[in-house]
Amino acid sequence: MIELREVSKLFGREHAVDGISLTVASGELCVLVGTSGCGKSTTLRMINRLIEHSAGQILIDGQQIRSFNGQVLRRRMGYAIQSTGLFPHWSVARNIGLVPRLLKWTPARIEERVTELMELLGLEPATFADKMPAQLSGGQAQRVGVARALAADPDILLMDEPFGALDPITRETLQDELLRLQSRLRKTIVFVTHDMDEALKLADRIVVMNQGRIVQQGTPQTLLHEPADEFVESLLGGADRGLKQAGLTRVATLMQPLDPAQAKAKADLPTVGVDDSLRLALSLMLWHRCESLMVTSEDGQPVGTLAFHDLLRTAP
Amino acid sequence: MSDAKQPANRVIIAMILLALPALHGLALTSVQPNRIVPGDAYRLMEIVGLGGALLLSLPFVAVLWLAWRPSEKRMRVIFVINIALLMALPWALALFCMSFVDADQPYARAGVGPGIWTLLFLLLLILIELRTRLQLSKGLQNMAAALVVGSLSLALISGWLEPLALAREYAGRREQFAAAVLYHLMLVGAAVALSLVIGFLLALLIRRLTRLQTPAFSVLSIIQTIPSLALFGLLLAPLAWLAARYPLLADLGVKGIGWAPALIALVGYSLLPMTRNTFVALEEVPPDVIESARGMGMSPWQVFSQVRLPLALPVLLEGIRITAIQAIGLAAVAALIGAGGLGTFIFQGLGQAAMDLVVLGALPILIMALIVDAGFSALAAYFRRGVVHD
Ligand SMILES: Nc1ncnc2c1ncn2[C@@H]1O[C@H](COP(=O)(O)OP(=O)(O)OP(=O)(O)O)[C@@H](O)[C@H]1O
Ligand SMILES: [Mg+2]
Repeated sequence: MIELREVSKLFGREHAVDGISLTVASGELCVLVGTSGCGKSTTLRMINRLIEHSAGQILIDGQQIRSFNGQVLRRRMGYAIQSTGLFPHWSVARNIGLVPRLLKWTPARIEERVTELMELLGLEPATFADKMPAQLSGGQAQRVGVARALAADPDILLMDEPFGALDPITRETLQDELLRLQSRLRKTIVFVTHDMDEALKLADRIVVMNQGRIVQQGTPQTLLHEPADEFVESLLGGADRGLKQAGLTRVATLMQPLDPAQAKAKADLPTVGVDDSLRLALSLMLWHRCESLMVTSEDGQPVGTLAFHDLLRTAP
Repeated sequence: MSDAKQPANRVIIAMILLALPALHGLALTSVQPNRIVPGDAYRLMEIVGLGGALLLSLPFVAVLWLAWRPSEKRMRVIFVINIALLMALPWALALFCMSFVDADQPYARAGVGPGIWTLLFLLLLILIELRTRLQLSKGLQNMAAALVVGSLSLALISGWLEPLALAREYAGRREQFAAAVLYHLMLVGAAVALSLVIGFLLALLIRRLTRLQTPAFSVLSIIQTIPSLALFGLLLAPLAWLAARYPLLADLGVKGIGWAPALIALVGYSLLPMTRNTFVALEEVPPDVIESARGMGMSPWQVFSQVRLPLALPVLLEGIRITAIQAIGLAAVAALIGAGGLGTFIFQGLGQAAMDLVVLGALPILIMALIVDAGFSALAAYFRRGVVHD
């Protein structure tokens, strides 16, 4: 668990972070979001003491971070950044094994762990272990960066816009994989981004920052339904909010169970998956110019229907 | 031929049009009965007669014709002719020595005249032009260089070139020459090593104390602008005083002239390139790599020794390369204040108007510089591998 109590950071006389309080529970994925320069990275770096906070308290599992040695603290936390910061003169395998080596694991254990991580991140060990970072694509480099952050199996993972420099498709793939990993590993993650869509997709909880302060925090749904002020509203895309919310809701929540009597008549409707978002369903309706869709389960069996007027009901 | 339509290669044509009059009009060689007496200059016609002169013009004319309507293939032929000419040159000189220098006169000597130097220069220019036009593989280039150097070495070992003035000068100073080369190397080595240590520490210091950056680089730049002779002069008085004051220093050989002021001056000149390159090399390491190194929990020493220094190494080596080449040249000037080294021959030669003695001093300096240049470039490339896309 990470707790920030009235934490501030001054650079000269400028408040980069101004009295923020925040609790990230164990196993929670907390996303800091806000415009450029609002203090997101500074907050993250204060947690692993790359930057010392000027005022307030930061606690890890109830202990003041100042009571730890900074290097020891950082070896206990994963850290991944936008530009990856991979060591260009080290192979992929050596980069991933960095923290275990700092922790003086045995070579055999390090090698085993590196292989395990490369497989976990979808990097074929035989192909990638000996490559140099300059030979990787942006997406591959970012996977290595995440693998390196996970290497010593830290409880806490700090990620500063890790997918910021990637093309939309690669970014989406990596977001999906992060969610998949998180459902298995249940790390405490603080994730920084300025992309609200990314925040809505990944977060258990979103923390909106502006000019060094926290403007609002809550679940993606809370933010969408009750934005605290115009700033949060504009971050959420203003009038686009309806679509953003539809993007967060599964078709399953609003579909009507299939009436076997009608199944035949509706057999040639366009189909949508039960786990797809309402946003996708709406898009399909617009595209096919039809008012209802057949909903199919994962194995392609029809399980229900979704009509345009269903979308207007609020989710139960 | 599909690629025969290239326009005439003006560079090579111009070189040949200069080379032909040099071959026929300039004195190629000279013969002196001894070192003092002025010798007789020989032109091509006087050496090989009209028929021989025309025959020897043929390769040049051939190159002229090939360059007129060049193609990839023709340019390669020019390359082969060029290398062959360079290989033949020492043997031509050997032939000349055999037939024109009286073997019974131990002091008689053959000089290399302006014609040969001009031809050599023009042939090298053509080689440079060919190198930019033709995609010659590294292996082929090295082989060509090995052939030329090998041919020259063989000619030297054969002893047939002994009557050359250069060889005569060398023969009279064999031990002096070996000592001078060694001394020169030691002086340069010591200066580079010392300035590396000082420059490295200085770079570390000004990275810490950023206030010192501007003043430090100003002082180092000012030292660079002092002419070398003036710097030696400036050091004369204080070092003489030190030696008089502390006999121990005098016993070590410290005095106003000699190796001590030379070494100090060389280090002084070396400090700017060394410090600047070390500083830039260390500063240039990408900040995000350093950030992530710290973020992973590396100690400051680990960040420096495992990340910053290795990534700075190629630029740092570049600094050593520049410094070493500069020191090799400057060390020659140090001979003027009695520091010894290859400069001794150069200044002796200049004093006695004996150009061959000057060349005896200058040639090894040139070769040293080339070797150091190639060596450090290769080393830097080795450390750069993998870091950059190949
Ligand atoms: N080392 C520093 N020295 C002085 N000022 C700093 C330093 N680091 C950050 N700042 C300032 O603190 C403020 C917050 O910076 P921070 O990097 O936390 O922003 P951010 O929210 O991460 O922005 P971005 O989305 O652009 O990365 C900015 O005004 C920045 O200029
Ligand atoms: Mg940032």
